Parts: sequence; C-alpha cells; structure tokens
Amino acid sequence: MTEILDQIRQRFGAEWQHVQRPDLLQIGVDAKKVVPLLTWLKEHTPFVQLTHLSAVDWIEEGQFQLTYLLTDPTAHVSLMVCARIDRDAAEAESVSALWPQAVTYEQEINEMFGIRFPGSPRQGVPFILEGWDDIPPMRRDFDTVAYMNTRHPPRPGRKHTDPRAYVGQVFGERGFLHDD
Amino acid sequence: MPFVVKLGWSLVGVVAAIAYGLTIGGLIRKVMARIQGRIGPPVWQPFIDLGKVIFQRTATQHGVMFYLAPIFRAGGGMGLYLLVPVIIGVPALENFSFNGDLLLVMYFIFFGSLGMALGAAEAGHPHAPIGISRGLSQMTAYELPFALAMVALAAQVHSFSIREIVIAQQGSVLHWNLFANPLAAAAAFLAFLGMNMYSPFNIVGAPQEIPVGPPTEYNSKFLSLMMSGRAILAVAKIVLFMDLFLGGAHSLLEVFAKTLVIYFWSVFVGAVFPRFRTEQSIRFFLGWPTVAGLAGVLLVLVR
Amino acid sequence: MATTTKKKLPVFEPPAGSLAHAPLGQGCFLGETERLQAPKLKEALATIKNWFRANSLWVMAYGTGCGAIELRPLVTSRFDFERFGMAMRPTSRQSNVLIISGYLAVKSLKRVIRAYEQMPSPKWVVGLGSCTINGGMYWDSYNTINRLDLYLPVDMYIAGCMPRPEALLAGFGDLMQRIKRGEANGWHHYLENFDWYKANQKKVITDWNMPDYNW
Repeated sequence: MTEILDQIRQRFGAEWQHVQRPDLLQIGVDAKKVVPLLTWLKEHTPFVQLTHLSAVDWIEEGQFQLTYLLTDPTAHVSLMVCARIDRDAAEAESVSALWPQAVTYEQEINEMFGIRFPGSPRQGVPFILEGWDDIPPMRRDFDTVAYMNTRHPPRPGRKHTDPRAYVGQVFGERGFLHDD
Repeated sequence: MPFVVKLGWSLVGVVAAIAYGLTIGGLIRKVMARIQGRIGPPVWQPFIDLGKVIFQRTATQHGVMFYLAPIFRAGGGMGLYLLVPVIIGVPALENFSFNGDLLLVMYFIFFGSLGMALGAAEAGHPHAPIGISRGLSQMTAYELPFALAMVALAAQVHSFSIREIVIAQQGSVLHWNLFANPLAAAAAFLAFLGMNMYSPFNIVGAPQEIPVGPPTEYNSKFLSLMMSGRAILAVAKIVLFMDLFLGGAHSLLEVFAKTLVIYFWSVFVGAVFPRFRTEQSIRFFLGWPTVAGLAGVLLVLVR
Repeated sequence: MATTTKKKLPVFEPPAGSLAHAPLGQGCFLGETERLQAPKLKEALATIKNWFRANSLWVMAYGTGCGAIELRPLVTSRFDFERFGMAMRPTSRQSNVLIISGYLAVKSLKRVIRAYEQMPSPKWVVGLGSCTINGGMYWDSYNTINRLDLYLPVDMYIAGCMPRPEALLAGFGDLMQRIKRGEANGWHHYLENFDWYKANQKKVITDWNMPDYNW
C-alpha cells in the first residue's frame, strides 16, 4: 500500500515519510497542504475515515505537530498525516467540514494544548476541565507536579520513593529477578 | 357478626396481608437467587428493608400530591383487600363482599396506579412522567382482557358479587373457573402479568433507563408507605384471582398454596422473558388476550 | 466564531404569567443546610436502628471511576452481595452508601457532591482503591484529587488497585460492623464541619454553579 505515499508526494509534496508497519504508513506534510490533502484522500482514495486527531508538543523546536490518523476500513491500513505548526501562534485549519467527529477532537486539542481551529464549533467550550485557570495542561511547560502540590496537596506523612531506586533494591541491577 | 368486630378482624387481616406480601417478596428474591446459582438474601429481607427505610431521615418532599400518592396506592390496595373474601366459611376473614363489588375491584386496581400518576406529577424530575405515561398506557391495554374476563364470569354466575362467584365454584376441582371457563381464565391471567408490572411488562420502572421512574424521589417514610402499599396490592390481587379462578379457599393452608401458585406464575414468566417496549406490550394485550376474553364471553352467552 | 448551519427547531413559550406555580420557598430549602437531630433521641433506639441499617445497605449505582469494574462481579452470582442485604439502587434518594470507586476527577467531584448531599441522612461513603487514599496511580495528575476526605466524609477505605471482590466483601463487612457499633458517623462530621468541607470543595471546583447545599 505504499503507492499512496508516492502519490501524495507527487501531488502535494512531502517533508518526510516512513513505513512503520505494512498497515501503518506515516507522512509529514506542510501545514498549509493538510486540508487539500485530506480532502483528496477522503474523496479519491480508500482512506475515508478519520480515526484520530492528536497533537504533539515539540517544545525544543518551538512547534506543535498535528497528527491526523486516517484509516482504510476495507484494507485495514492506517495513514498518519503529520503537520507542524508554530507553537506561539498555534492555529490550524479545521477539518470539521469533512468529518463531523473532528469537532470533538479539535475541541479537546484546543482545551489541552491551546491550538486554535478557527471555524470549528465548540472551540473554547470546556470538555473535561471545567473552570480551568492555568495554561493548557498537555503543553510540556506545564508542571503537573507543581500544580498538584498547590491544588491537590498530598496527605502529610506520605513517603516518596524513586521507582528506579526501588526497582534496583528489589530486583537488582538488571532490573528483573534473576536466579543463576 | 357485628360490624365493628368484623371491621377489626379485617384490619388485622390487612396487617397480615402486608406481612404476607413482604414475605412473598423475600421468597421470590430467594428463589430467583437460587435459580441464578447464588445464595440470595434471607427470606425476611424485605422486613429489614422496610425497617431501614422507616428509620431514615426525609431528604426532601415536593408538595401535597407527593404526600398523597403513596396513600392512594396503599388505599387502593387496602380497599381491594377489604372487598375480596379470603376464606369462605370463616366470617372473620370474609371481609366485605357485596353485590357489584366486581366492578369496584377493577376500580381499586386502577386506583393504585392512579395514585402513582398523581404523585409523578409532583415528583420534581422528568423521569417520573415518562415512567407513568408508559405505565398508564400499558394499563389501559391490559384492562381490556381483564374486563372481558370479569364480564364473562359475571355472566356465568348471573351476579357481580365475588362471593357468589366463589360459591358457584364449590363442588369439585372441575368446577373451578380455571377449567369451567378456560378462555376467560387465559385472558385474566395474561392481564395479571401486566398488572403486577413484573417482567416482561416492567417498562414502568425500568431501573437502567429512567431511575425507577415514578418512585425515584421517594425516600424514607414515603418509600416505606409505597413498599407496604405495593405488598398489600400484590396480596389483594392474588387473593382476588384465587377467588375468581381457583375456587376460593376453606383454610389458611389453601390460601397460601393457591396464592403462591398464582404469584409464581408471574415470577416464572418474568424469569424467562426480557422487557417489552410499551408499544409491544400494548399490541400484545390487544391481540390474543383480548381475543381469548371475547371468546370467553361468547362461550358463556352461547352455553 | 462561525457556527454550523443547523436548523433550529421552533420553541413556543407560554404567554407570560399564564403558568401558575407555587411561590419559591414553599417546600424548597433554599439557603438552608441540613440540621442534626437531637442526640438524646438517637441513643434510645440506636442499636436497633443501626442493626436495621447495617443489614440493608443500599448502594448507589454510580461508578465514579475504574474501581467500578470490580463492583460488577460483586453483584453477580460468584460473589453475590445480595446475601448481605445489599442492593444497587439507581437513585440517590433511595441509597445509603456512595462508593467512590477509584480516582475522582474534579468534574466528577462536582456531581458526586450533589449526589451525596441529595442522599437521605444516615449515609456512608466508601473509598475504593488507593486513589481515594493518597492519589494512587494518578497522584501527579492535574485533574484528579488526592485526598477524598477533604471533600467528603469517608467511613471506610478499601485499599488496592483495584480491590478484588473478596476485598470489597471484607470492607463492606467491616463497614457493617462499624455501623452496628455506632462508629460510622460520617454524615454527622459533614454537617458539623460543613464550612470546612465546603471551603475545600470550592477551592478545587472553581466554577461553582450549584446551591451551597443540594437537597
């Protein structure tokens, strides 16, 4: 099924591509080409279903990556379309006109990462976090332990154990029980 | 027997009927548990539930009809019980049967659900009207075969008095209306499944869809009145059916045996059937049970 | 913000003033909280009442977290909690025990508080799993609470992740023993320290749009 990657490269141009498994193909495209590419994939290829839409925070490079997971339901092949957007002005074009389920994914990404999808309904409507007053929590510069210590302080007298040290004590250097 | 003494004995009978109804409930839970391969609660568990519910503090109430609804339900049950003779030949337990009480019996059965409907109007949440609209529409459907069966029996005996119907069934087992007019009995017993609101006709109080529907907001003493009302309504119905179709009873042992058989009929049907939707149950009751009832009436007229 | 073109169904409202209703305040307990009963009345029949309550625990069928997956086998034939008189009730008005099964997100906490306050009064809270005790697996999550007893009075903790049905049966047995001894008075503690609980709850639930006490 890797012909689809060649077709995408010919029509739209790609930054990178990778075949992780015979049924999982990955391709990286420019952010401006995402919606035309997804429209072409939905209308003219077997990849008709949007299975997932998620985001990755590449904080060192100052970018967010949006990952669209499309599926071919008859051949059971998945295609990941990855696009990078700028981290400070985090905006991407909405695909909710192609698939109505994208509205919920974009609502969640807006709440968790702060990426705006202009034109998508329910942007800014709280999904899981009601009354959230801090930065979007899935961003890597959000310190969840510090937030936990202020908002949900642990029970006094709680002992903290570093998992690596504990595993080393019980299971030895190799990290598992060995009998030789 | 002077009226006051008879009334006293009847009220003792009411209390005994409530206890009997609760015990039957506990017995049913034990039997269902054993069918499902587990131990199940003790047989006196409904008494413990009733006691716990009485000792709760009331969380909230919603107005006049909220108070009155369980009273209507218990009142319907008590009225029904006071009209059916329990044991023929023992004046203390014959209650107040008179000519025409067969029609009054149908009214009292309806009155119980009417009480629930009035309470559902002031229940304070939207699930109650949903549940009660389903229950009342189902009730109008099963009233039809039940009324036809009553008419058939009354035409057979030329009287609207339950006591007359019981006396007409004496003699031998074959004189029981179950065998003398089997079509009317079939119609009435199928309507009985709807009356008990047990599976497959328990869409009224479907616990997963609408949290038990009408009784959702009832707590503490309201709930205790509803539980005892349900118990006495159940007992009164099975005693009524025993009188109408199984020849009445001459001793307490006969009462227990015959009423348990009638109650287990609905339990065993309920154990094997899933729940019907409202339109399915209405379509069912207006189908074969009504045909059986009509045929029963025609049978009596022709004979 | 553009909206999708969805056809709005027409809504007809009744003319103003045409619906008569009872004035608010009649039967509503706005602005009030529940009050404790006089203690002398409780001591007289306490043993009998507690015996009835312990032998007929009705659990509210509300699975707040992943621990609820161990509640389902408890109801079925193998472990069968009905033999102890326990039953699942779908409504908070008719239940006595609220089981917080596992982690409690802040969003669920708001609904759980409402359900807890709507339960009639001898009521108990059972915390299932480590997440209610000290945060458990989700101790560093921004969205889950770490100590359940800051927000609700807990009568019994059952440790584990998640506790198996045998552990649940042991825990419920202990709860019944505590109720019979008269030691399980979480609802007392809640009403006596109501302001403290409410302050804790409002610290985590920032968009409080409910009454202070939900009858």
